[in-house]
Amino acid sequence: MSLLWLRLAVILYGIAALAVLPAALYNRPRWRHIALPSAMGGAFFHFVSITETLYAAHRALPIDTHETLSMLGLLLVVAFLILAVHYRTVSFGMFLLPVAVLLAIVPAFHPGHERIVYPLVRTGWLLLHIALLLAAYAALFLSLIASLLYLIQERRLKQKRTESKRGWLPPLETLDQIGLNALRFGLPCMTAGLLIGSVLALQSIGLAFFADPKVLLSIAMWIAYILMIFIRSHSGLRGRRAVYLSSFVFLVMLAVWAANSLSAVHRFKAP
Amino acid sequence: MRDKRIENTMRSTSRNSKLLLLGVNHATAPIAIRERLAIPTHRLADATRTLAGQPGVREALILSTCNRVELLTVQDGAQDGSEAETDAFSAGRPAPTLSMIRFLNEYLQVRATDIEPHLYEFREREAVRHLFRVASSLDSMVVGEPQILGQVKQSWTIGREVGAVKSMLDPLLQRAFSVAKKVRTETQIGNSTVSVASVAAELARKIFGSLSGKTVLLVGAGKMSDLTARHLIQQGATMLLVSNRTESRAQVIADALRTPSITTGVIPLDQLHEQAYRADIIITSTGAGQVFTPENSRTLLQRRKNRPVFFIDIAVPRDVAPAVNDLEGCFVYDIDDLQQVAIQNKAVRSREADAAESIVSREVARYSDRVLQAPATEAIKHLLLDAEVVRQHELTRITQQLSRQPLSAEQLAAVDRLTKSLTGKLLHPQIAALREIAADSESDD
Repeated sequence: MSLLWLRLAVILYGIAALAVLPAALYNRPRWRHIALPSAMGGAFFHFVSITETLYAAHRALPIDTHETLSMLGLLLVVAFLILAVHYRTVSFGMFLLPVAVLLAIVPAFHPGHERIVYPLVRTGWLLLHIALLLAAYAALFLSLIASLLYLIQERRLKQKRTESKRGWLPPLETLDQIGLNALRFGLPCMTAGLLIGSVLALQSIGLAFFADPKVLLSIAMWIAYILMIFIRSHSGLRGRRAVYLSSFVFLVMLAVWAANSLSAVHRFKAP
Repeated sequence: MRDKRIENTMRSTSRNSKLLLLGVNHATAPIAIRERLAIPTHRLADATRTLAGQPGVREALILSTCNRVELLTVQDGAQDGSEAETDAFSAGRPAPTLSMIRFLNEYLQVRATDIEPHLYEFREREAVRHLFRVASSLDSMVVGEPQILGQVKQSWTIGREVGAVKSMLDPLLQRAFSVAKKVRTETQIGNSTVSVASVAAELARKIFGSLSGKTVLLVGAGKMSDLTARHLIQQGATMLLVSNRTESRAQVIADALRTPSITTGVIPLDQLHEQAYRADIIITSTGAGQVFTPENSRTLLQRRKNRPVFFIDIAVPRDVAPAVNDLEGCFVYDIDDLQQVAIQNKAVRSREADAAESIVSREVARYSDRVLQAPATEAIKHLLLDAEVVRQHELTRITQQLSRQPLSAEQLAAVDRLTKSLTGKLLHPQIAALREIAADSESDD
């Protein structure tokens, strides 16, 4: 049943991802009225699906890669909905919704069958560790998109291409605020997520945990994240250089994600 | 007898109400005429009441704005086609039109011969179309401007209050409002600004979002820069700084623009570069040339911690070096750029106006069909009701005659179906004829 809800969610995300194009690019309110309820409905069914899956497995957290990706997709859709309500812009949907579809489509149509063997996965702390880190990843992705949109809007204004029909981008200051607020939201999530993970790993593995490549990369990512916020807040870094910085941290984040295959600590499942 | 009643229904509903719209607007009349015909808001109720009291007028509405004065009336159909009185200005016009011209003449003391050459007149379907176009801002001087809808609504409210807008004009106006809303939501007609000052404000919003809490710096004095500053203040800017070669003149401008919600200040011209960083939007119109260079703008940006700054350069020769636009965070628009954006926006509006015209045409057809078919529908209803009474009567009679050998339920149902089918087939030519008459009357109008 949970798969049915997830498939329904993917279909609704797909509809939202298509409807958001005319809504954002041509400012058509009718399409906006399709995109937002579809995304909202998709998020609801996605949540139901995840809850059902985890409940059926007698655990409260996503463990296999598909489940984790799916939850990240849900977080991106929630971020899109928050932006649409708070900043009255659906432009971010053009990027967030297709990514959410991609993240949810694999678990919806090719679910994993891994069996969980690691004893710690049943603790609530681990759930918090994963949820917080996923939120930090989503925030970083959002910040990167905001920086890219800032760059596009800045170029349009400088080149004096301002026809209202294609005025689909939010104002520069709004984009800057979204980018910075996303980072400010992501930092405590990442810090708390890493701390919880470290304590749990120290308890079960000991100091050897710090030699794990994923752990080392995570610490590097955390430092880069802090540096990025510091530079952006204190020097008012915007535009092209902000995109470079966000892209760099995003690449580090992808490396952290990919490091699962090298990590001894983060292999929770039996083959 | 029955045919007579149906005929009467058709006649009473279709012929006795005539929609007539008479008016002048910016395209047909010069300001000298429009200002003489303009009815101020405080006199609108009295004027509407007076118009509604004219002979042959059943309902009335007056729309009076700076660009148009229009009288929309529902006339008594009996007057239609009656001969015009022999008069200096009659010129073969029908009586209802003359009655409205006379109203303008008597109420506003404007000679009929002065008004007549500028008047336009629309009847029935064309009057509906004109009203829909006016409410949708397709007939405005600046196509897509939003004020006109509010002005039509105000006239409608006054018309209702004085009892001049009733059963025919009320639904028509409500339809006009929903058409206007449809045009606004389904097209981009009202989404682009077309004056230099409003383009500047629109661009500022694209950079800063809300202008609330933003500071505007006015360098130099001039009509256009003053207008642009006022526009930005209207859009929410809360602080205005003025810098001018003559400080007393700067103070006069600052005082003129100060309101309880606006803080103003004067910056001596020799301190301009030290203080300019405080401003988010800088409007320059000195014509002194190169007041802002890439070097001093870079310093300005550093002091602002790279927060964007928007230069609106209205001066000729330009006050802001074009290279300033290349600095990250500086946005420079000179007068040509602003005019170019205004022209682009006008083109967008013009494209969208075509789409809006299609919506209006569709809605006019829909409305006319509904209204003009109404008498036919009413007559058909009478016809069907009469036929049903006869059918029921005959069914009761036959059932009573067969009371000794009553029909079974199936037989009764079969007889019922048979009589219904017969009635329907017998009435079909008459119903078709009624619909044809309604369609003919529409095309005649």
